Amino acid sequence: MAGPSGDKLITVDMTRQSVEVTDFPAKWKLLGGRALSAKILLEQCNPKCDPLGPENVLVVAPGVLSGTAAPTSGRISIGGKSPLTGGIKEANSGGQPGQHLMKLGIRAIVVKGQPADANARFGLEVTAEGAKVVPADDCRGMLNYALCDKLSKKYAKTASFISCGPAGEMRLSGASVATTDQDNRFPARHAARGGLGAVMGSKGLKYVMVDPGKSGVRRTADPKAFGELCKGYTKSYQAGPQMFKHGTSSVVPVANMLHTFPYKNRTSGQSPNAQTLDGARIVESFATRGGGMHNCMTGCIVKCSNIVHDESGSYKTSALEFETLALLGASCAVATWQEVAELDRACDEIGLDTIETGAAIAVLMDAGKMPWGDSAAMAKLILEEVPKGTDRGKAIGSGAVATGKFTGHTRVPHARGQAIPAWDPRPLKATGVTYCTSPMGADHTAGLVINPGLPPDKYAYESQKSQLVNAVCDSSGFCQFLQPTLDDIRAFYGALYGEEVTRQQIADQGWACLSDEWEFNRRAGFTKADDKLSRPLVEEPIGAGPGVVFDVPDEIVQQVFTRQPMQDDLFAAKAAG
Amino acid sequence: MPKVRIPPPYRGPTQGTAELSVEAQTVLECLEATERKFPGFLPQVLDEDGNVHRFVKLFKNGKHLRGDALAEQLAGEDELEIVAAIAGG
Repeated sequence: MAGPSGDKLITVDMTRQSVEVTDFPAKWKLLGGRALSAKILLEQCNPKCDPLGPENVLVVAPGVLSGTAAPTSGRISIGGKSPLTGGIKEANSGGQPGQHLMKLGIRAIVVKGQPADANARFGLEVTAEGAKVVPADDCRGMLNYALCDKLSKKYAKTASFISCGPAGEMRLSGASVATTDQDNRFPARHAARGGLGAVMGSKGLKYVMVDPGKSGVRRTADPKAFGELCKGYTKSYQAGPQMFKHGTSSVVPVANMLHTFPYKNRTSGQSPNAQTLDGARIVESFATRGGGMHNCMTGCIVKCSNIVHDESGSYKTSALEFETLALLGASCAVATWQEVAELDRACDEIGLDTIETGAAIAVLMDAGKMPWGDSAAMAKLILEEVPKGTDRGKAIGSGAVATGKFTGHTRVPHARGQAIPAWDPRPLKATGVTYCTSPMGADHTAGLVINPGLPPDKYAYESQKSQLVNAVCDSSGFCQFLQPTLDDIRAFYGALYGEEVTRQQIADQGWACLSDEWEFNRRAGFTKADDKLSRPLVEEPIGAGPGVVFDVPDEIVQQVFTRQPMQDDLFAAKAAG
Repeated sequence: MPKVRIPPPYRGPTQGTAELSVEAQTVLECLEATERKFPGFLPQVLDEDGNVHRFVKLFKNGKHLRGDALAEQLAGEDELEIVAAIAGG
């Protein structure tokens, strides 16, 4: 009745291309994903290090519940010091590697050092037999899809992959880390934000192959009780509204209605193209083009991922998400979802964050350096100029702030160097408080509060609550789209290890995660002066009538750093991102 | 009086009000009464043709209303919950 045991930690030294496998500390058994990454980084990474130098540490950490039969629980965290923000970063992804690592009992891979030869490329192979670094110079510069196709032929059918594209190899701070999905092993899922693909690339690590072989699901303390919990939770979810069964792209009309579907570099919160960017059009296309909804990882009951086909009926991309439609689409005045699908695929191939890249191109367009809505020019820029390393390509690949510097344009909506996602902090002020205070910078998955009627005295409370719940969710392996509560998560933890996890414990875990991350950033040199949004968001109004700006006083923003007394609503609040 | 619960994304027009009781005998009357109290609320739930937006779901006492949800009868203690799809991705 003890639950999983014998878990391991893999430490990879890329300077020597050596691997050490050690026992996972028992005291960390309830730490996974984001919280584990934060703990490792705070202990093992110099916060003042060059994010692209040998001192930075790249952490790959599945959630606590990954590899079990818990529904939609296979998420994986990629962590490190961000080259985009200069602070700590955790980017979270679906796909299959999280499930596979935990089936092998691997709680984290910690990648350190850097090869002496900056042109050398390596792969990391992880199997039931152990882990080893292998040469991968033949993969240098490969696009993500071609790379994963090559790896699929080289390795077992049971394997999954984590990779970086050319943008990561070029160390561009908008670079993502890709993970393969469960059905086609396409690199369609991305731990996208914060430039962690550049950290992976800086270590010469082109890919990680994880092959669980015949390993089964993780052992639980009481399989019968755990199974009952899974069954009950699934039944309850399926009896509910299942709001994401048509994908996150179905949110477009709601966001447009709330003036938080950014248009032309956020000069408006509504797009005239909302109808043709609406995910409903994607769902309609399934009848003529094929494609459909699927689950990106085994055991997912949300199935929010769309598979998008082109006009000829061939696979184009997956998943075409709301944020991508907002930033690569609406904010660049691109008119249709079909065009955004091309751009999404381009970003996935090169290994770029679609949010940061869309925001960067919107800045370029706003500066008059590219026509609004010219998706063909955008695709050329991403697919040709970025890998060629032209000055403009490097600027775009390095994000919105870098593009602002490149063009001399000052309308750059960001927080701590990271572009603002779709959810706008002007109509959604509590979300703005999250962008100001989150260790992650402007990241909607760090604490999304979509309540435009919230009174000012609740901004900090609601932001902190959402940040805490999301930190626990991103540590558990559960997907935010499952919308678990803290009570749900502690019930699963309790059944996994056969011991009660109290409300106090689970809330403390979330707060500890945030505190570790804030402490890392403090040591990196961040101060209160950094807890702000950039000029356009506080000076240029959007919304109905005279519009609104982000005008939350500093004293309210700073309240987030003082822990609020626990109330029942903390445990009923759903993760949202 | 039936109670209507407003989801957080739709609380702009209600100025933060999360729930209220209104005089109504059907779901439609309930929504219209809420609109009279908080102008600007109704277009968030119904489209220009008066149909429920496809991104909105209505629940009566926890039960998902399908079909002609707007005609559903409401009595004194009934609760109407509005759920809106929200996510990032």
